[in-house]
Amino acid sequence: MQVIRVEDLSKTFRVKKKEKGMTGSIKAILHPQTEKIQAVNGVSFTVEEGEMLAFIGPNGAGKSTTIKMLTGILYPDGGRVEVLGVDPTKKRKQLAYQIGTVFGQKEQLWTHLTPYDNFRFFGAIYDLSERETEARIEELSERFALGSFIDTPVRNLSLGQRIRCEIVASLIHKPKVLFLDEPTIGLDPVVKENIRSLIMQMNQEEHTTIFLTSHDVGDIEKLCRRIIIVNAGRIVLDDSVEHLKHHYPDKRAADTQAHEKAAENGDSLSISLEEIITEIYKSEERIAEK
Amino acid sequence: MLTAAKNQVRVCLLSIKYNIMREMVNKVTFLTNVCFMVLNDASILVQWFILFRLREDVGGYTLREIMLLWGLTAASFGLSRILFARVFSLSELIISGKLDSFLVQPKNVLLSVMTSSTNISAVGDLLYGVVLACACRPGVGGFLLFLLFTVTGTVVFTAFALLLGSLSFWLVRMDILQSQMTMGMISFGTYPDGIFEGISRFLLYFIIPVGMAVWLPLHVIVNFDVRTFFALIGYACLLSGAAVAVFYRGLRRYASGNLMEARL
Repeated sequence: MQVIRVEDLSKTFRVKKKEKGMTGSIKAILHPQTEKIQAVNGVSFTVEEGEMLAFIGPNGAGKSTTIKMLTGILYPDGGRVEVLGVDPTKKRKQLAYQIGTVFGQKEQLWTHLTPYDNFRFFGAIYDLSERETEARIEELSERFALGSFIDTPVRNLSLGQRIRCEIVASLIHKPKVLFLDEPTIGLDPVVKENIRSLIMQMNQEEHTTIFLTSHDVGDIEKLCRRIIIVNAGRIVLDDSVEHLKHHYPDKRAADTQAHEKAAENGDSLSISLEEIITEIYKSEERIAEK
Repeated sequence: MLTAAKNQVRVCLLSIKYNIMREMVNKVTFLTNVCFMVLNDASILVQWFILFRLREDVGGYTLREIMLLWGLTAASFGLSRILFARVFSLSELIISGKLDSFLVQPKNVLLSVMTSSTNISAVGDLLYGVVLACACRPGVGGFLLFLLFTVTGTVVFTAFALLLGSLSFWLVRMDILQSQMTMGMISFGTYPDGIFEGISRFLLYFIIPVGMAVWLPLHVIVNFDVRTFFALIGYACLLSGAAVAVFYRGLRRYASGNLMEARL
């Protein structure tokens, strides 16, 4: 069953243009000029129930804009979006009951409250009864090992503890789809690993569909079976992680120049996923420059 | 429908409760803020006491009416900032793209935004306003009217700030205009309307709605008029309806943002 359907999605932002210096500022007041930036340009894809998808791309590629359109934060300029059969632009609230969001760079928790009070607040937001909220807090607190700091104000928690709490808050209502926008940003390798295994556990036990954007290849390798790479608002690759890992080096091997260069340096042609992704980004950059 | 409304109210009340809890984390600061706001309001009234020793009326107002006017302005503005403080910084939220966390919740975005912050010194304004009204001995009917007009005044103050803040979806740096216009509204609201004439009077009734928030309500408390009474309630509904419509129209243009941020 398809839980996300995106067809020809596009979004344009208008950005003010200003020449440098004071003269530029005065000119901008007298003759304001704007520039159209095409953040998302005709993106189409589908996501199956229970899938773990990595939606990645270089900075400014349109990942966050796409996630924001899927969650109802932004209105698309064109195309169609359906998440769990619901159009986010028309029934944002109805959709919000069924999805969870974690934005690694934006906190949703109240920092002066304890995680426990925050979870109760989120329980109320999702119309859970006191009993349901308590039971869910107990279950998630055990699973995410929050016991030792559940009664400590959020502002006093470490970044790793806070992200765990953010994820728990987004799972309080048992969402069917979880959108994770750079959830492991700024975390140390041990905490990252811990967060990944918890996300994996959620996917396996509750069959939650995971839509992940991350610059950390470790997140993608450990969690996702499918990868979509976007650049300049367009999809440039939609493949399984396994297929990409095994076939990209073959393609590279067919490239005589790369082959010769590797032979000269005594290097092997087998490369890591991180290198594959970097090469794809670079080749897209070169195409854009041309 | 009724359950949804009940749940929405539950979340709003919880949000206000948590805001107040946050402000009360430091009890000394909390009490000092409230007390100094009362003192600040009271100190300005001293000028009026001195003025009324020299004259019998100013702009057609007696000292009692000036006190009622102060009471109504302080209580309305106070209640507005206790319940809906975030509206007064809505421009900043829109400009810096900080509405995301409200948009992913299955609740009314506007109510969630409005109740997401409180200004604790405003408790001092509200207390001061109510005490001042009681000191004027308006009678039971007059006091009930005072309370009702405190609510309509709150609606007008909030709706006006919301309307200006929502313009940030279209115009840049509306935060400055929003702040100046709302503060201007409070300042004008502490002077009798009789001293304003011509264009300034027109502006203060129809552009910056001080007249509809406090002056006309005060006239109704002093000399009850049923038509003005209903006109004021109608105006409060109309202005809030317009402000809500502008907010939701603008929300379609919301551009979000990628700044690192925390919910403080």
